[in-house]
Amino acid sequence: MHETLKFHFTPVDTPQPDQANPHAKASTEVAGVVEALRGEFGEAILDLMVYAGEHTVYVEKKRIADVCAFLKDQQGFAYLVDLGGADRFTDEDRFEVFYNLVNIDAGKRLRLKVRVDEDDLHVPSVTPLFRAANWNERECYDMLGVIFDGHPDLRRMYMPEDFEYYPQRKEFPLLGIPGSLPLPPQTPEGDLTMDPFAAAHGSKPVKSFEEPPSEFSDENSEI
Amino acid sequence: MSTTIEYAGVESEDLFSFWPRHNEAIQQRLESKHAWLEERHHPEAQHDRAEDALEHQMTLNIGPQHPATHGVLRCVVKLDGELIEKCVLDIGYLHRGIEKLAESKTYQEFMPYTDRMDYLAPYANNVAWCLAVEKLAGIEVPERAQWIRMIMCELARISSHLLWLGVGLMDAGAVSVFLWTFQGREDLYNIFDEMTGARFTVSHSRIGGLASDISPRALDLIRDFVDRYPAIVQGWRKFLNRNRIWIGRNEGVGVVTAEEAIALGLTGPNLRGSGVPYDIRRFEPYLKYDEVDFTIPLRTEGDCLARYHVRMEEMLESLKIIEQCLDRLPEGPIRADDAKQAYPTKDEVYYSMEGLIHDFMYTDTGVAPPKGAAAYHAIESPKGELGFYLESDGTGNPWRARINAPSYTNLQGLEWMMEGHPVADIVVLIGSIDPVMGEADK
Repeated sequence: MHETLKFHFTPVDTPQPDQANPHAKASTEVAGVVEALRGEFGEAILDLMVYAGEHTVYVEKKRIADVCAFLKDQQGFAYLVDLGGADRFTDEDRFEVFYNLVNIDAGKRLRLKVRVDEDDLHVPSVTPLFRAANWNERECYDMLGVIFDGHPDLRRMYMPEDFEYYPQRKEFPLLGIPGSLPLPPQTPEGDLTMDPFAAAHGSKPVKSFEEPPSEFSDENSEI
Repeated sequence: MSTTIEYAGVESEDLFSFWPRHNEAIQQRLESKHAWLEERHHPEAQHDRAEDALEHQMTLNIGPQHPATHGVLRCVVKLDGELIEKCVLDIGYLHRGIEKLAESKTYQEFMPYTDRMDYLAPYANNVAWCLAVEKLAGIEVPERAQWIRMIMCELARISSHLLWLGVGLMDAGAVSVFLWTFQGREDLYNIFDEMTGARFTVSHSRIGGLASDISPRALDLIRDFVDRYPAIVQGWRKFLNRNRIWIGRNEGVGVVTAEEAIALGLTGPNLRGSGVPYDIRRFEPYLKYDEVDFTIPLRTEGDCLARYHVRMEEMLESLKIIEQCLDRLPEGPIRADDAKQAYPTKDEVYYSMEGLIHDFMYTDTGVAPPKGAAAYHAIESPKGELGFYLESDGTGNPWRARINAPSYTNLQGLEWMMEGHPVADIVVLIGSIDPVMGEADK
């Protein structure tokens, strides 16, 4: 069971999705492309969200590589700008992977999204289509644990190979898990630093130097 | 599968168990990597391979602690003689997890972290973050603030390109240019100091506007810089465009065709050096870029020399843009006049109770975009397309802040670009890609 982390505070007069956004760009007007996608894939196009003029197309997970291939070959979206994931922290369809595609010639930008359930973290890789997706998919795997099937080199991007956690998941604490990542000793003869935020976790941090005895310390206070 | 190395007198639990396994993974990747070299039909690749692997093959580590790698970049290269057969880049030595940190900060609190991404052009990162949040929350920024932001973004571009030029030439063996460009950077630091109060990590832009207005002295400094610098940059170009060593080191090195550049996802000057006219300032005009007159430098050769020309011409174009901004700088407020969109002025904070409350509320919660909102906004930073994809859950903290860092995507292209070149070209190639590890490692 996931607990709610924060209370929600949305002022009433904040802009709602239907209001015009001063930063909306002409490049994100892609209604024609969405129509073409609906015509080609039908049921596999699950939903469409528009906010600030940006179109987000929700695609069935199994068809994402086909949709990308269609967009690349038929619609000219050959430039993959960004690929990443997000943790929605819900019981169903917990993770999201988004694809930011650009058609340079037509000046269009489109975002695709797939939802990934925690029980089945496999998503077809788009690296065979866009080589630019290689590192981005690795990063998404590293940070969220989403597994991209067909990726040629699914290693961790930033974290060590034997790190057991996926740090960008919402349940991973901001200060890390003590002992998960041993760091070099603070003193030449010292032990490994098992917790870089010892003070925040309630124990005394290791000093990298020996503090000189203070004349105002507790032992001397009676003098 | 992990292998632990035994050291005398040391328990294996005491060691960094990840290091051998990390290296093993890199080695596996190096062995299994698709040999792009043979596909590219390099004449060098066709030469008779020696049967004896020991004669010709070597795996070499360059970095992470190597001055020519521009930060903590580790290149693992498999050499055939002097030629790079395969290259695997290992990044993450500067990983701080700022995407995760952003989730526990308010939108305004995250600003100093953006300074430390591309620390050669912090102002551009500030503006990129502000614009992304403003798009997410639908905040409109006053005219004057937009023009000032443009001036500072272009100054940041010049500052970043000056460092690239100096360091790039130092990699190729010319030390004096480094000293000249750092004089220019010193002038720019003085401008940033006068404008923002900080020389390096400026954190000056605010959501909904700017922290402070531009002072008359800062305007004078900028005008002086814009007047002096075209001639200086042209002087460098005159000197470098005919420099035999510089041309020899760069011409035909790291050639990327337009199709390859798009497939690899290169951005910024690296993409435009290959002849792809993709510049966010034209593709999705932000601020007032659709109202000023400038050209996008473009080259079709796709080699290091083309990227050099693109960046040099970009500096001159930036100076032109700044000149137009200075001429057209309107009078007016520098922050949105809405307590839920931007900080109140200091006058309001000190002399009215509402102002103080608004200041407190803005620091405590800040902007709260509607629940479920998601937006992506990109700017053309000196390194390329710098975009932030934000998701809101209705609170003052972003639910998800995804950073699309140009250095990250460019480094991915570098891995491929290096293959087929001699070892000596590594430093020139890294220089021409212009990566900043603070940004690539997030």
